[in-house]
Amino acid sequence: MGTANFVLFGVCAFFALAGAVTTVAAQRPLRAAVALLVNIISLAGLYLTLSAHLLAAIQLLVYAGAVVVLFIFVIMLIGPAAEVKGKGEGLPGRTLAIAIMTMVTGTIAFSLVDAAGNWLALRSNPDFGTVEALGAELYSRALVPFEIVSITLLVAIVGAVAIARHRTEGEITEAKAVHAKAVEVREEAKAEAEAAAKATA
Amino acid sequence: MEITLGTFLALGAILFGIGAIGFLVRRNVLIQLMSIELMLNAVNVVLVAVNRYHPDNHAGQIFAFFVIAVAAAEAAVGLAIVIGLFRLKKSVSAADANLMKH
Amino acid sequence: MNIEQALPWIIGLPLAGAIMNGLAGRFANRRLVAFVAVGSVLGSFGIACNAFYDLMVMKADGTGEVISTTLWEWFSIHIPGLTGFREIPVNISLVFDSLSGLMVLVITGIGSLIHIYSLGYMSEEKSYARFFTYLNLFTASMLILVLGSSFPVLFVGWEGVGLCSYLLIGFWYENTAYAEAGKKAFIANRIGDFGVIIGMFILVGAAGSFEFSAINAAAPGMATPLNFGGLAIGSIATVGGLFLFLGCTGKSAQIPLFVWLPDAMAGPTPVSALIHAATMVTAGVYLCCRLSPVFMQSAVLLSTIAIIGACTAFLAATVAVVQNEMKKILAYSTVSQLGFMFAAVGVGAMTAGFFHVFTHAFFKACLFLGAGSVMHAVHAHGDADIRKLGGLKKWMPITRWTFLLACLAIAGVPPFSGFFSKDEILLGAAEVAMHETMIPSAVGWFVFVVLFLAATMTAFYMFRLYFLTFTGDYRSAKKKAAASDEEDEEDEEHDEEEAHDEHDDHGYSPHPHESEWPMALPLVVLGAGSVVVGFLGLPHLLGEEWVWWGHWLEPSITNLQMAGEDHIPAYVAMAAGTIAMLIGVVGAAVAYRDKNEDKTTGKIPKPIREFFFDKWRVDELYEATILRGSRALGVLAGWLDKTFVDTMLTGATAKGVQLLGWASTRIQVGRVHAYGLAIAIGLGVMSWYVLYPHAEVAFEVDDQNATYVATRGLGYEYRWDVDSDGTYDVPAQPVRVRIDIKDDASPQELFQVVNVVRAALASDGLRPADRTALGHPVGLRSEKVYELAPPPALLENLLAGLERLEILDGVEVLPDPHGEVFDETVTVQHAYDEDSYVGYALLIGQLRGEPRELRATESGTQFDVADLGQRWRASEEDATPPAFKQVEGGVEIRPNGAMVRVGNEVRSEPFVLGPGESANVGSSPVRVVPVARVTVQVRNAFGNVDTHSEEVTLMNSGGRVRVAQNAGGAR
Repeated sequence: MGTANFVLFGVCAFFALAGAVTTVAAQRPLRAAVALLVNIISLAGLYLTLSAHLLAAIQLLVYAGAVVVLFIFVIMLIGPAAEVKGKGEGLPGRTLAIAIMTMVTGTIAFSLVDAAGNWLALRSNPDFGTVEALGAELYSRALVPFEIVSITLLVAIVGAVAIARHRTEGEITEAKAVHAKAVEVREEAKAEAEAAAKATA
Repeated sequence: MEITLGTFLALGAILFGIGAIGFLVRRNVLIQLMSIELMLNAVNVVLVAVNRYHPDNHAGQIFAFFVIAVAAAEAAVGLAIVIGLFRLKKSVSAADANLMKH
Repeated sequence: MNIEQALPWIIGLPLAGAIMNGLAGRFANRRLVAFVAVGSVLGSFGIACNAFYDLMVMKADGTGEVISTTLWEWFSIHIPGLTGFREIPVNISLVFDSLSGLMVLVITGIGSLIHIYSLGYMSEEKSYARFFTYLNLFTASMLILVLGSSFPVLFVGWEGVGLCSYLLIGFWYENTAYAEAGKKAFIANRIGDFGVIIGMFILVGAAGSFEFSAINAAAPGMATPLNFGGLAIGSIATVGGLFLFLGCTGKSAQIPLFVWLPDAMAGPTPVSALIHAATMVTAGVYLCCRLSPVFMQSAVLLSTIAIIGACTAFLAATVAVVQNEMKKILAYSTVSQLGFMFAAVGVGAMTAGFFHVFTHAFFKACLFLGAGSVMHAVHAHGDADIRKLGGLKKWMPITRWTFLLACLAIAGVPPFSGFFSKDEILLGAAEVAMHETMIPSAVGWFVFVVLFLAATMTAFYMFRLYFLTFTGDYRSAKKKAAASDEEDEEDEEHDEEEAHDEHDDHGYSPHPHESEWPMALPLVVLGAGSVVVGFLGLPHLLGEEWVWWGHWLEPSITNLQMAGEDHIPAYVAMAAGTIAMLIGVVGAAVAYRDKNEDKTTGKIPKPIREFFFDKWRVDELYEATILRGSRALGVLAGWLDKTFVDTMLTGATAKGVQLLGWASTRIQVGRVHAYGLAIAIGLGVMSWYVLYPHAEVAFEVDDQNATYVATRGLGYEYRWDVDSDGTYDVPAQPVRVRIDIKDDASPQELFQVVNVVRAALASDGLRPADRTALGHPVGLRSEKVYELAPPPALLENLLAGLERLEILDGVEVLPDPHGEVFDETVTVQHAYDEDSYVGYALLIGQLRGEPRELRATESGTQFDVADLGQRWRASEEDATPPAFKQVEGGVEIRPNGAMVRVGNEVRSEPFVLGPGESANVGSSPVRVVPVARVTVQVRNAFGNVDTHSEEVTLMNSGGRVRVAQNAGGAR
């Protein structure tokens, strides 16, 4: 593996990180979705340097072609409300979360950089990562999990439809009633708590 | 400079960390879902890289394959829930998804 | 089918009958129910007769004394014996010997008659099938009781008859008083059953077996004291026997648990006849006979039984004299007669006692059935007041004559059966009184005199009952007003108090009638039996060839041994019995024959009469003491429960849980991000655990090897220091082989390299882990340079193989970059190499369990006195325990005047014990063993390191240190 590989890795890794940071940091969801797309395409490139050709293709097809498009659909569907204006609440919690995750990630990443060996000296399997070899293994050793995944997808489809479909009139009334009841109960509880606080005071 | 397994593992860890921070910090459910996708992708990078280090079989790649499939399913259901939330609350803020609160 | 196989069916038939009637009886018609119930017991009686005949033949031929069969192993238990724990099986096995054979004949024979009688007596009963279900179940339980060859089987029957007794006493459970009577019987029996269980455990623990045969065989050893937590509380036979006797007092209605039997008359009359006269109540006597060798081991036990039996006989007889209801009189008579039997057991005349069981079964069953017949005739429900009867001989000839025969028998009129059996009991008491035996002769005198009085009263009250019932005029035929005038005022009061449902203003049916054949037939048979069965046990007076009973029971029952040969002549006892009988019968005849009112008992001073009538106020005594005491205990427990448990324990816990729940609601904020944060924190903790390794060592040391195992973890590498030198050991395999293949190697030549590597792979003794280290030869196809990490055992083979090839640019042995890497498991042989150890420890033998380890220190330590047994001191004054400390080349032991021996040589000066050498300090063996320090360092995939050290005692050179069982030695 030569310089080309190294360059490819460098470029892909940079865009992957940049895309990830942008995804997380973007205020507008559409921008985040595009950054996610960049991240996903970069990862596909990284898969190529790892001899995972089929996986790179699938990454593009499924993630870039389906998942990100789905995200964009939803963002479009929701419209301007898809953007949540930050109110700056929960700042201590956010700071704590960032601190913890940075510490954990940093420790792991810096531990890992030198930890494991270099595979370039290893013998390489010429079939490794090819569509034939991966397909053969997928349909022999991993056949049962593969079939189970297909069922998972089916369930997901049904679930998505069930959740997202339009409600009938009756269902809407019922849902609204439930919602109203929940709000009412909460108000009551709040009123009670206030009354109790007043009483103790 | 050689690219080693460690480089990929570190990259995966950082991507995962970014995704986790995004999930924890952002209030926008859509971006939280994207953060989850980021984390899943980070795991995939690690799986594929370790597989490259043990090239006798394709267990890592196959696992990554399954992760992609499950991620797609997760995105579909998750986005459906987002739509449901939006219908109910006219908002996609996680802070508004509080009907189950005591 | 031989008789062993038929034996289970003696029990099985009534049991099957009970199951059939119990499950389907309510749907079947009465005839079928009756057929199943009576047929099963009759069938059982048939098998029993057959078995009894076979047993007689066997005994006559001298081919055997028992018929026994084992059905299956029920369970087995571990019990501590003299030599450690033993597995003792408990078999469901049945024994039909001379003792249980007779009992089985009584149970099934009289049981059959009473079943037949019940056909008539219960013919108007609603719960016909239920009655016969219980009755059959009772028969089966009683048969299990007597046929069981071991304690647990007997206990099943014992509980079974108790249950059936409860069910049948409370048969008319709609009547609260009857249900209460059933409960009373059950509870009194529970107290006794507790005694049976304790007694069973004591005897079984002593004998090491549940089988009666084994317990009886072990009886001579049971005179030894029972060690109860260091406290000797009498011999095994005394304590175990007294507990068993407590059970007998419950089941057989003796003082102090007799109170239930009179109340048990609430049950239907056939039940009273079968259970509370003929069979169940004699189970206690049966148990004593069954375990007679054990009972014969303790004079205290026998005296207790004799005195209690005699007292019960007397007490119950006094009560019977003043009672006015037929079944009440018969009930107290039963208690009294059971007292006779136990008195016989107590004076060691077991055979006589059991003979009385046998004869009593006949005449008492006959009396009860006769009473039932009378009640049936006059339509008295529950019980019949003899003051309202009289002159029934006119209407009921069969009942009258059989009743008279039975009365003659129980009164002891020669030559009826009761005469012979009662005479044997009196003889037994007289023998004890006159002879040198283990039982004090005063006990014998007491028993004799009291039984004489009781026998007198027996004759009196039985004929009082007979005369008032069957002679004179029928008093219920008159008007109520006339009858009322004749009655004493006090009696009237008692009548109202006692006979709750009996207060019958109009008397009984004015037209009594003789019973029909199902009731009359059993009466006739039993009446005949009352006359003749006595001849089975003719006294020795007539010559040995006439004495069938004693010889028949010889193998099963052990009687008291008399010192001298000169037995007193039997006619002394006979004369006494006859005198008692004459006084009683003549007295009763004078007082009551053809009299229409009871004036005689009214002449007894009122306080005494009432005292007797209220059965000596024992119930009231129990009420005042035991019941009130337990109620007070209950109140106390309730108060404790409320204040302590409910308020302090439960209340505080509930408050705590409430608080926790409140705290949890604070955490449940309902914001997704808060939950995410919680996950993040958990992730951080888990990451810390994964990122930082944890070195721990488990070790196992045997005589030759020490094996150390480090805790495994993800991606761990291990470095070991097992020789205590403070530096990590260098492993034996710090090499890798680099194979450099020529650029122009042909496929054939490459194949040769592959073959060499494959050959190495195929070598024996290669573990899967080694294979991975060696690599896989397939990869050689495209790589020019190849590195292998072969295990040392294969290295030479591999190199030799590769050298023969000419296609290689070179084979190079490389130092392994991970040089100090070991497996997580290291096994080393430990030998006595001074450099490998950091010190010594003493292994001190323990009486139980593993030896104790004491690490020797430079500064010195004293032995723990508890380790050294009782005799570590050389003299009484010496109080300094021996000490030891670590020195060059071993452990120095300073005896300080204690008993310290090396071999047989006693050491009084300090001396050094080298590794592997042993000595005796006090009564404990000690051995010096080396201690190694083991260090393991683990490094995980992230390069983080953790180190752990452990001191390990190496137990080499010859076996464990353990104190022999007898070395404790102090006692």
